[in-house]
Amino acid sequence: MSVTSDAVAAEARSRAEGAASPEGGAGSPWQPKILAFCCNWCTYAGADLAGLNRMNYPADIRLLRVPCSGRVNPQHVLRALQDGCDGVLVCGCHPGDCHYVSGNYYAKRRMMVFKRLLEYSGLRPGRFQVRWISGSEAGKFRDTVVSVTEQISQMGPMASDAPSLEALAGADALLEAARGAGDAR
Amino acid sequence: MRIGVFVCHCGSNIAGTVDVERVAREALKLPGVVFSDTNKYTCSAPGQESVCSAIKENALDRVVIASCSPRMHEATFRKMIAEKTDLNPYMLEIANIREQCSWVHKDREQGTRKACDLVAMAVAKVSCDRELFTTNLPVERRALVIGGGIAGIQAALDIADAGFPVTLVERESSIGGKMVMLDKTFPTMDCSACICTPKMSEAAENPNIEIKSLTEVESVSGYIGSFDVTLREKAKYVDYDVCTGCGLCETKCPTKKIPSEFNQGLSTRTAIYKPFPQAVPSKPTIDAEHCKKLQSGKCGVCEKVCPTGAIRYDDVDRVTTQRYGAIVVASGYELIDWTGLYGEYGAGRYPDVITGLQFERIVNASGPTEGHILRPSDRTEPKTTVIVKCVGSRDPNKGVSYCSRACCMYAAKHAHQYLDKVPDGTCYVFYMDVRCAGKGYDEFYMRTLQDGAIYVRGRVSKIYPEGDGLVCMGEDTLSGEIVRVKADMVVLETAMVPSRGSDVLASKLNVQRGPEGFFTEAHPKLRPVETNTAGVYLAGVAQGPKDIPDTVAQAGAVASKVIGLFARGQIESNPMLSKVDVSRCSGCRACVDVCPYGALGLVQANLRENSRKVTRTVCQVNEGLCQGCGACSVACRSGALDLLGFSDEGIMQEVEMLCQ
Amino acid sequence: MTANLTQQIRDRARDLLQSGTVSCFIAWEPARFEHWRTPVTIESPDEVDRIVVDEWCDQLIAKYALQRRGDGRIGMVARGCESRAVERLVADRQVSRQDVYLVGVGCTGMLDRDGGAPLKKCEECQRRNPVTYDEMVGETVEEPRPYRFGEVDRIESMEPEQRRAFFDRMFSQCAMCFACRNVCPACNCRSCFADAERVGWLEKDFGLDASRYWGLMRAFHTGDRCIECGECERACPMGLPLMTLMHKQVRDIDRLFGPYEGGGLSDAGPDPLRSYRTDDVEEFM
Repeated sequence: MSVTSDAVAAEARSRAEGAASPEGGAGSPWQPKILAFCCNWCTYAGADLAGLNRMNYPADIRLLRVPCSGRVNPQHVLRALQDGCDGVLVCGCHPGDCHYVSGNYYAKRRMMVFKRLLEYSGLRPGRFQVRWISGSEAGKFRDTVVSVTEQISQMGPMASDAPSLEALAGADALLEAARGAGDAR
Repeated sequence: MRIGVFVCHCGSNIAGTVDVERVAREALKLPGVVFSDTNKYTCSAPGQESVCSAIKENALDRVVIASCSPRMHEATFRKMIAEKTDLNPYMLEIANIREQCSWVHKDREQGTRKACDLVAMAVAKVSCDRELFTTNLPVERRALVIGGGIAGIQAALDIADAGFPVTLVERESSIGGKMVMLDKTFPTMDCSACICTPKMSEAAENPNIEIKSLTEVESVSGYIGSFDVTLREKAKYVDYDVCTGCGLCETKCPTKKIPSEFNQGLSTRTAIYKPFPQAVPSKPTIDAEHCKKLQSGKCGVCEKVCPTGAIRYDDVDRVTTQRYGAIVVASGYELIDWTGLYGEYGAGRYPDVITGLQFERIVNASGPTEGHILRPSDRTEPKTTVIVKCVGSRDPNKGVSYCSRACCMYAAKHAHQYLDKVPDGTCYVFYMDVRCAGKGYDEFYMRTLQDGAIYVRGRVSKIYPEGDGLVCMGEDTLSGEIVRVKADMVVLETAMVPSRGSDVLASKLNVQRGPEGFFTEAHPKLRPVETNTAGVYLAGVAQGPKDIPDTVAQAGAVASKVIGLFARGQIESNPMLSKVDVSRCSGCRACVDVCPYGALGLVQANLRENSRKVTRTVCQVNEGLCQGCGACSVACRSGALDLLGFSDEGIMQEVEMLCQ
Repeated sequence: MTANLTQQIRDRARDLLQSGTVSCFIAWEPARFEHWRTPVTIESPDEVDRIVVDEWCDQLIAKYALQRRGDGRIGMVARGCESRAVERLVADRQVSRQDVYLVGVGCTGMLDRDGGAPLKKCEECQRRNPVTYDEMVGETVEEPRPYRFGEVDRIESMEPEQRRAFFDRMFSQCAMCFACRNVCPACNCRSCFADAERVGWLEKDFGLDASRYWGLMRAFHTGDRCIECGECERACPMGLPLMTLMHKQVRDIDRLFGPYEGGGLSDAGPDPLRSYRTDDVEEFM
């Protein structure tokens, strides 16, 4: 199989254009799609409390309930970012407060390394965020949603991150330079 | 697949901001959805009835209910499906369109669109749901109560009275805790010992209660219904089966100058001793650290005088393991060590600056002064006494940030007792606030004011000696003036802090503690005596500062939870557990390393692979221990582990549905 | 490497096979063309003369031990990379250390079979001497410990768009042949997530998203265990600089939870993502 650099660029462009005219139909502005993985015991409860207190926050966020932040597989995150979410948030209990003793400590290490790997490979910082929000921190939940939504809105749709043709052309030279004396032949 | 979607109006709670009819119509377009409906109140009896009949009439095999938070009514709807339909209760997903949608978004169009998305995600997840079945795990009907204070005693008595055996573990040599040290209890001024010691002997005589003094919890394993607990009973050097508790040994013991812990160091005791006359068990122990025989081998008086030959110098610690169905943590508190924190109060250098608990012993008729109020330094009657409240409490810079709750009342009690016994005395109380919420509490405080106690609003900034007395300096914040009071004795009402070793106990029991160090309840309002570890309950100050009535009430509540558990005799297991596909498992141990419950282990399994029989190491889930956190399913790189109820496929389908 | 190394290894392999210490011996043999070497598993003392150990042995042979599991003790030539690979397999409980007999050799780097330039993976090598062995043949060599994060530094200094372009180009060339996985000693799962029939796990079609998903997830699955042998990069038929993803994670782990030098070291402790400390650095509050 072969993918030419032109084909990649064209694909990226077309996706970017597609995102500029969203399904909402002509006239309706683009709205970010943000997925938040929330642990059942803390952040999901905090979100419920925000509701109970009738706090107001942007409607672009969708919560996905998981038992623990340690349940969130980086594969879920990457899939969401690839398939059309403009931002992904993973939330759990404060370190030390995990309902399952240590799940968020493992999540913390995993996500710290994975987030750096994603951003290293070109994800714009801010697209993927992790926050610890307890069940009583309805205000922090609201503030987090507001700030994440704001950041993602400013960044624009994920597809707009597709590199320009110039950047892609420049990347070819860099890639050649980075190749080792490998088996490529 | 025949999915039914039920959208709840919740009166106007949801319908006010979300077009529920449109959500229901949109849901019908989703793959697998064959039925959708709306309901005024889905959780009400008619609402439940209409869902159940729709399930039957339309032969639905999966259900999505779009309503309030699943934390609210998921259990309700599961129970409804289990009891009133033929459907498996785990073929249900809740879309939270109230707390996380209608209540937080004002724009009707935005709210409706979000609700549609949330329903679509729930539909995606429900399509991956599998039938799950609970199993019944047996419950060992025997309770362990850790801590023999009033909380532990009350819980043990209530559980034992229902007919279940209880082991009451106390690390000191007698049960009774702090309450038995107190002189009188507010606001009724009953004699504390008179109401506490009968409870202690009741516990000792109850055939269902086994009291283990000088005993600590060594290790805990297992889960609700079957905790295996190892206890270490320290050497007592006295054979309790033989000892009659006559007390002859105590009178003859030559080592007599040991500060008495019970009397807060205000009197002395012997090396073989009972901490106080009404101790339970009512038998002495040898304090090995101070015993001449045990330290140097010379003495042996107690052995010589003992009429029954109960002394055992070669006694050793006994370690036993027993299975318990439930554990009650009533480990209580201690008072903050103010001497290390408050240099300005003399850091313990002035003998007439005492703690509230020392005052309790002084004012007690069986205490070191036989109830006469005499100050420690020269055993004279103090004519002026200063009581300082909030020493350590509500002082995040030096002590703790929380309020210890009982001090306002016992400070008033101390003032009252002092003025009662020293009619010509003067009593000042330095306070930050007076918090007397409770039945008869404020009346008691008012009475103390009428007794003549002088309340000064402000912290004492310095205590220094002058002549044969002490000067307390502080600001009266109401008048703004600096106050200097010449006092003969100062009583510090110090903060309650978690008892020593709470941190170790918490990790043994796998129970969380709050930032202040007290054990954390499962829910501050609705599950105040449970912990997040099923089968472990909290009573008394172990959970947070409180007074005796609250402690006793909480102990009773704990007992009712334990009795309820024992009466059922079995518990339904949570079926949302990890599941391993051994054919994909490499036995790499990653899951074992991350499991906080030790629920995963490696076993040799006989498998059939490529039509060959092979034996290799694979992982196995212990369903009794697994709590369903899913950490292992992420640590497992190959995806051999999955979490039922929150499966990888279900989560992915939700993600993909949202992304469409 | 000394000229008589091949002979020394042949002698040791013969002795070990004859005495029954090992049931087989894994090394290299000459392949069809000049300077081509291919792994070989010798089972009889009569065949040891097939063995060649020289500067053209570019492949890591440790993973071949997995094919001989349960067949008695496995002999093997062990350079730094082989020894770390064996430690990796032991830590992942795929072989036990007693089941492997390592004949250690110090290594000064291998050469490219085309043109004879030093291999990139060897130029970045941190452990030329075996970290574990049952016996040593020849002398240990000096450990220059070259700086291996030059590429990471370069990419980290780029703008996000440039980085995205770089990896878009890189992943768009991925052929999804899984050669990187097949040579990787840390990729020792019996079944790979990429082969699972599970919705969303890995798309079965080809495309930038699928290859990015594969590339990043494989890198992440091995990131905290990578022994930095560079085999993924050497085996990649498209010549993609895959090690940059691994070096990146190794350095991040070192900086965040360190000190950490990479996996497959006897004293490395538990794998960083399978353990935690309550005082780990906090950035998500």
